[in-house]
Amino acid sequence: MGNPALQTEAVWKVFHQEAEKVRAVRGVTLTIQPGEFVVLAGPSGSGKTTLLNLIGGLTRPTDGRVWVDGLELTRMSSRELARMRLEKLGFIFQSYNLLPVLSALENAEFPLLLRGLERGQREHRVRELFQRTGLAGLEHRRPGKLSGGQQQRVAVIRAVVGEPALVLADEPTANLDSAASDILLTVMEELNRDLGTTFLFATHDSRLMERSRRLIHLVDGQIASDQWQEPRRES
Amino acid sequence: MRFKTTVIARLALRNLRRQARRSLLTAASMIAGSALLIFSLILGDGTHEQWIDSAVRMADGHLSILSPRFRASRALKDRMPAESRAAVEQALRQGGIPGEIRAVAPRLAVTGMASSAAGARPARILGVEPAGEAAFSLLDEKLQQGRYLRPGDRLAAYVGIGLLEALDLRLGSKFVLTAQDAGGEIAGQLVRVVGTFRTGIPEADRSLLHIPLSTAGAWLGCSGDVTSLGLLLENSQQVPQARRSLQQRLSETHGTEALLALSWRESLPELDAAVKIDDFSNYLFQGILFSIIALGIVNTVLMSVMYRRREFGVLQALGLTPGQSASLVLVEGLILTVLSGTIGIALGLSVTWFLWGEGLDLSSMMDNEWTFSGVVMDPVVVPRFRVARMVQGLSFIFLIGMLASLYPALRAMRIDVAETMKFER
Repeated sequence: MGNPALQTEAVWKVFHQEAEKVRAVRGVTLTIQPGEFVVLAGPSGSGKTTLLNLIGGLTRPTDGRVWVDGLELTRMSSRELARMRLEKLGFIFQSYNLLPVLSALENAEFPLLLRGLERGQREHRVRELFQRTGLAGLEHRRPGKLSGGQQQRVAVIRAVVGEPALVLADEPTANLDSAASDILLTVMEELNRDLGTTFLFATHDSRLMERSRRLIHLVDGQIASDQWQEPRRES
Repeated sequence: MRFKTTVIARLALRNLRRQARRSLLTAASMIAGSALLIFSLILGDGTHEQWIDSAVRMADGHLSILSPRFRASRALKDRMPAESRAAVEQALRQGGIPGEIRAVAPRLAVTGMASSAAGARPARILGVEPAGEAAFSLLDEKLQQGRYLRPGDRLAAYVGIGLLEALDLRLGSKFVLTAQDAGGEIAGQLVRVVGTFRTGIPEADRSLLHIPLSTAGAWLGCSGDVTSLGLLLENSQQVPQARRSLQQRLSETHGTEALLALSWRESLPELDAAVKIDDFSNYLFQGILFSIIALGIVNTVLMSVMYRRREFGVLQALGLTPGQSASLVLVEGLILTVLSGTIGIALGLSVTWFLWGEGLDLSSMMDNEWTFSGVVMDPVVVPRFRVARMVQGLSFIFLIGMLASLYPALRAMRIDVAETMKFER
């Protein structure tokens, strides 16, 4: 049995706002195995994004421990965290966050470029994903020349191209209309099914919740429920 | 690592292009500043070289070789004997001294009186070898009447116009020089005016005169001896190395009684101070100018960092370390400054070369002759193009770019990635 894609143990995150202590995440213990397609749901302020940031090594926990693919993040230096993010994680953001000075292809291959892969290897992998996600022919467009849905699909390719242990997606469909959301969700489901990519979403989107196989409800920084379900398939 | 460097350079270039107008405006100030920097440096160098050249040719050369005792006493008894002079001249002829020696001027200097029927005046008498001195000194070019000394002249004197008038002399007039000879006795020498000069420096015109070295030696009882040997080099940059080498050779040949090789900085301390003060004020002006330009660069790069906070957050989320984020900003700042600085330097050089390569004539700004530190200056300043100055200019620009980008780079490095993502909400 390999390492879990993600493991957290009694993770806390407390923010100090003026004289007040805000407990954004309160003792979350969670394990996600490779290949899972998990949604973290909950109302605004429930701590979804903070938990994702803790898992992504973008914020350090006040207490508790986090492992990604067996690597413990808690004691890593910022340099080690950067390396871990590069090799083990993929990020998908609400606002796509593609680099405007790079083409769609360059954005998508960026993690591979940082890892030092040769051009041929990079392009082969990225073009295959462009084909799979219905973006073939748009490789050389700048983000500004792509629709929101297309930009988010490029962001998905960027997140999965390095075959990370875990892809963290924070409200990936929030800026998309329903048609674009459906296409995006289908793409991510296929990547999960065909490539075994592990996804962890933080979302309010009911469509995404319905299509997940595991739904975790977070309330006031704590896991209120963690249930497996039969995902609804799009016709 | 190589890939990350390439990625950083590519991103930096594209980011500069993305804010083309802002980058161009900043680059324009850098180009203008660098052009001005190089113009003022090469013109300053040209001016200083001219000051030095004029001064050393009216005085003792870029380097003067003399006995240490003569340096202190200026007395004839402390002169350089003929054997020492011959040894030095032999050493100079053998070569191996760094730099190009344009002329060597053996001189026998003595202070005495010049007398005629009209009276007597103190005089600074220089016994010189006419041919060598003409190549060395500028005095022959200051001719007013008659001619300069010639090889073979015996009783000829080339006299300052002020002294000529004070003694009521004319071309062809005879007058008597009186000074203490090598034996400590007062000795006189009759000479005849063959030419007069006007330097524009009242002290020189009132007291200086040249007579043949052989005449001076015979008169003062020290034929073949000299008080100093002046060396004129190709330029003042060659002085330090030539001095070191020459001094070492003099120590080898003369042991503890070694002769001194004095540079112009030691023989003309006022001029040395003037050059240093002028350089300092030039550097100060450049420093102020570039501080202002640097603030512009800080503003451009910092604005760019603040505008792209989320992008830096994304880059770090994707695997760039904080240090690499900072280096991206540094590279942007450096590309902007070094590129525009290089263009500015090239522009400054070209404009200076095409417009004033032959010299910048400042005579319209001066009513009279321009004297400085006892030297008459040529009003035409010829810029001096030196590779070292280009390198200095580029290094300075590189430093400015680095310093100006440092703070924005730190800001990019310290970005809170999670915080930048909050803007999405």
